[in-house]
Amino acid sequence: MSFFFGRTRARTNTLDLPRQAREHVTKLEGPQGGPKAEELAKVLTQIKFTLTGTPEQEATPETTHQLVTGLIEEDLLYLLAINLYRLPFESRKDTQVIFSYVFRFRPPTGPQKPEPLALAWVVEKRPQVLVELCRAYDHKESATPAGTVLREVLKHETAAAIILYDDGDLPGSSARQGVAGIDQERKQSGNGVFWSFFDWIDKSSFEVAADAFTTFRELLTKHKEIIPKYLAVNFDLFFERYNSVLVQSHSYVTKRQSIKLLGEILLDRSNYNVMTAYVDRGEHLKICMNLLRDDRKMVQYEGFHVFKVFVANPHKSVPVQKILLMNREKLLHFLSHFLEDRTDDEQFIDEREFLIKQIRNMPAQPVQPHR
Amino acid sequence: MADEGVANHYQVLEELGRGSFGVVYKAIEINTGETVAIKHIDLESSDDDIQEIQQEISVLSTCASNYVTQYKASFLRGHKLWIVMEYLGGGSCLDLLKPGIFPEVHIAIICRELLLGLEYLHAEGKIHRDIKAANILLSESGKVKLADFGVAAQLTHMKSQRNTFVGTPFWMAPEVIQQAGYDFKADIWSLGITAIELALGEPPHASTHPMKVLFQIPKNPPPRLEGKFSKEFKDFVAQCLVKDADHRPTAKELLKHRFIRSAGKVEALQELIYRKQVFDAKADRVKLPVYYQETLNTISPKDEADEWVFDTVKSVAPKPRGTVRSRKPSGVHGIEDAMHKLDVKDGPLQPTTPGTVRRSTVRRQPSATQRKSSISQTQRHVSNGNGSPRPVSSKRPLQPDMSFGNSGSTMRLFRRVPSDTSTNPSNFGSSPDTSFTYDENRPPTASYQLPVEPHSKEAFLGRRLYNKALEPCLDELHAQTAGPAKREALARLSDALAHLDAVDPEGTYHFLRSIVSTVQQDSKLSNAFLPREERTPHHSKTPSDGTPQGTVLINNKRVSAHVQQAQAQAQALQQAAAINSPAKLIMAQDNPHLASHRRRRESTATTASNVTTTDNGLGIMEGRSPEKTSRSGSAEREREREREKERDRERMALEAKFPGRPAAPGMEHCKELSDLLYARWTDGLRARWGALAGA
Repeated sequence: MSFFFGRTRARTNTLDLPRQAREHVTKLEGPQGGPKAEELAKVLTQIKFTLTGTPEQEATPETTHQLVTGLIEEDLLYLLAINLYRLPFESRKDTQVIFSYVFRFRPPTGPQKPEPLALAWVVEKRPQVLVELCRAYDHKESATPAGTVLREVLKHETAAAIILYDDGDLPGSSARQGVAGIDQERKQSGNGVFWSFFDWIDKSSFEVAADAFTTFRELLTKHKEIIPKYLAVNFDLFFERYNSVLVQSHSYVTKRQSIKLLGEILLDRSNYNVMTAYVDRGEHLKICMNLLRDDRKMVQYEGFHVFKVFVANPHKSVPVQKILLMNREKLLHFLSHFLEDRTDDEQFIDEREFLIKQIRNMPAQPVQPHR
Repeated sequence: MADEGVANHYQVLEELGRGSFGVVYKAIEINTGETVAIKHIDLESSDDDIQEIQQEISVLSTCASNYVTQYKASFLRGHKLWIVMEYLGGGSCLDLLKPGIFPEVHIAIICRELLLGLEYLHAEGKIHRDIKAANILLSESGKVKLADFGVAAQLTHMKSQRNTFVGTPFWMAPEVIQQAGYDFKADIWSLGITAIELALGEPPHASTHPMKVLFQIPKNPPPRLEGKFSKEFKDFVAQCLVKDADHRPTAKELLKHRFIRSAGKVEALQELIYRKQVFDAKADRVKLPVYYQETLNTISPKDEADEWVFDTVKSVAPKPRGTVRSRKPSGVHGIEDAMHKLDVKDGPLQPTTPGTVRRSTVRRQPSATQRKSSISQTQRHVSNGNGSPRPVSSKRPLQPDMSFGNSGSTMRLFRRVPSDTSTNPSNFGSSPDTSFTYDENRPPTASYQLPVEPHSKEAFLGRRLYNKALEPCLDELHAQTAGPAKREALARLSDALAHLDAVDPEGTYHFLRSIVSTVQQDSKLSNAFLPREERTPHHSKTPSDGTPQGTVLINNKRVSAHVQQAQAQAQALQQAAAINSPAKLIMAQDNPHLASHRRRRESTATTASNVTTTDNGLGIMEGRSPEKTSRSGSAEREREREREKERDRERMALEAKFPGRPAAPGMEHCKELSDLLYARWTDGLRARWGALAGA
């Protein structure tokens, strides 16, 4: 009998946790913020241990299921996301664990969706949860825990789509009806949450910027279906911002990492059309050639891996040919001494030789490309 | 990332240690007055992804425990990443081991504190993966803290496992080496090895090659603690070193072990710190601190004429008139480059300018020559060490770091090169007590910038130009000028040129080059300043000397004629100044160049005084010193003596270049090196020409 009793108590307790948490979290801003934060911290720790289990008591799928449902019903995921930066140090970490477990939980029975239970609910009904998790980059305190959650969630294409296609109240924005409401053909206004990443990366402190960049990279490289389409539709907006904010950033880390990511994006097979469009533009080549002359070696090196795409392209556009021809002698001389101390990097040396050959063998006058 | 200014919140003091990651400095947070440790990572010198370093920061920043070194902040400064950490004055356990092994009671305390730290980390889903004495720091009060999270892992789920092969071979758990998936238990194994290290002075298999150890650890039965230790201690180690990770206890369980429960208070560990201080004092190891020096920009001068051309309209950049615009030094590599090229292992004997060798050997291998005997010992103390950095080169392929020998190094996937600080000594921090013995690591205590070592032809010429022409000229001009305002203006110019010479001798060169060529292009100016008769074949050889006085003629066709002409000119000026001037050039007392200026003047003055004019040896001075010229007409004997003196001087100049001579002030450190180089050279000769030498 005692066994039965224990179970009932555990259940009511579990069911009650989300409600308690909600009560506290909504009062965080008020005059009682301090004590409420402490109470909330206790509740969050309890929720965490219910989800993860403890060495003494393993987590069961049933209680987890109840808890996840409860969290959804109380809209606690959204509340935690917007209040993340207000929570105490340990609670932020607890919240991160809670999010990770909740977004991974699949009920052992019943119909299975491609996403875990809570995530499916979010992408269909409550996309704001993901948007608010991104906005956690506004605060130093919440950046790391939110970033960790985001990167896990972004493994699912639908979650990535929510963030990419968030565009306020505009038609076709993910904010309206979740994944179902997305219109991939419509050009983005540039005000959605995805476009805020540029500022978070460029303007935040090192810790925040570095985390935001990692998430940004994840968004742009993980999903080979939606990203090429997204980049094609929003080509001008995206690369204009990318080049002006990130590649030209004053921060060494932002600059170096974004040049590297640019190379990765362009050289990804799935982005072939984006790549050809990119390397047709003369102004893109100019930016890139100036990177080769940067005074920091690693910037030069990363710039080289973008530059090589322009030169290796068998169908160079007329503007690109013109620039290369105008600087042919300089380039040949420059490349023959470029990063000479990289003597052990055989691939680099081969590629450099290849580029020299390509530039040397270009016809003297620009030729109309035919493909 | 907008945090460039944050660095100004810290006053960086002396170097605490360096390792594969970079350099750690002691510093003071100006607002709070708190002492902190700042790790400088040069991102530019590492090929590997910056994300790796971010990982370390994210693990550290989510730790808040008394048993883990507290992370405070991190920010970028140019291409250096600064990571601000709590300062722990007691040093690492590896440092504290130098006076000798730890008593068992102390090991018990350390192990308990470590277990508490591991309990915290493991509950947080973190694996340290590199537990060893070098990564255990003590505060001055004896608190024990885990440090160096360079290879730590954050698990997102409690039950997930890792496969990455990281850590330091001797301390690695068998399951990590076998890459069969491991978890928190790997840290427990490393803790057991560390306990042995503290008890015996080194980990098991320490004499074996680390690669071999990687095979032995999974194959052999686990190491055991042997010797005069308590049963509890031996059992504790045996519990940690259970090969099957599933049967190895957790940190929590080990905290209940008898060996741990009977451990005393952390304050007892102050004995270890005190012991180390006594040891250092006895061994006369009080090393002078190496102070932080801001790295100058490594930017090589931009070559404007070489910019890309994107605009079709002005496709040809307007060439400046024949003057020298490009400031590219003829020595291709800047000092920074040369430093990168230098590697203790690759041989400090690479042909480089003496200045560069000095700097890089000083920075990279501060103690190699003095402490060769103890090298095997110091070699071990790398990551938290005593300033014996692991030699690293940025041009090696990315590879597992195999340079550990029996060292305490950490195996990372890639190596990071310690950042090069200091291309130029500057005044930083308080000047150390001068009663200490001279330490070559110490930046000059003087309150001014030392002159830059010239390392290109232009720079040498520029330096020479200043010493031989500009300075004496100004001196004389100053002496001849009457009005105080005019004199002050001249003194300022002199100061400015002195500064230019100290900072950028090349600039002096280019400055005069362009004046000369500009003057040449203007017909009126060239008539006024470059009279026809001056353009004798002799003089045209040395346009860069550019002294307006055309009083010296060279009759001698020696190779060194060029040099001597300049000398003669300088001497002439000196003499003239000495004769004609009632007052000397006044320099401010705190003028940094006063000392060197005096030195130079003295040397030239003495030589000038015993060399009077001759008509074939050096040159004729016309109308400058009538009584001397009249004397020169006197006797053949006089001339003979002059020639003798001249030969003597030449011999002395040559001998000055021989090894074994007392070094010039400030260059003592070079002497040792040059002696060494000379010895090797002679050895080489002897080996090659042994037969001749024997005969």
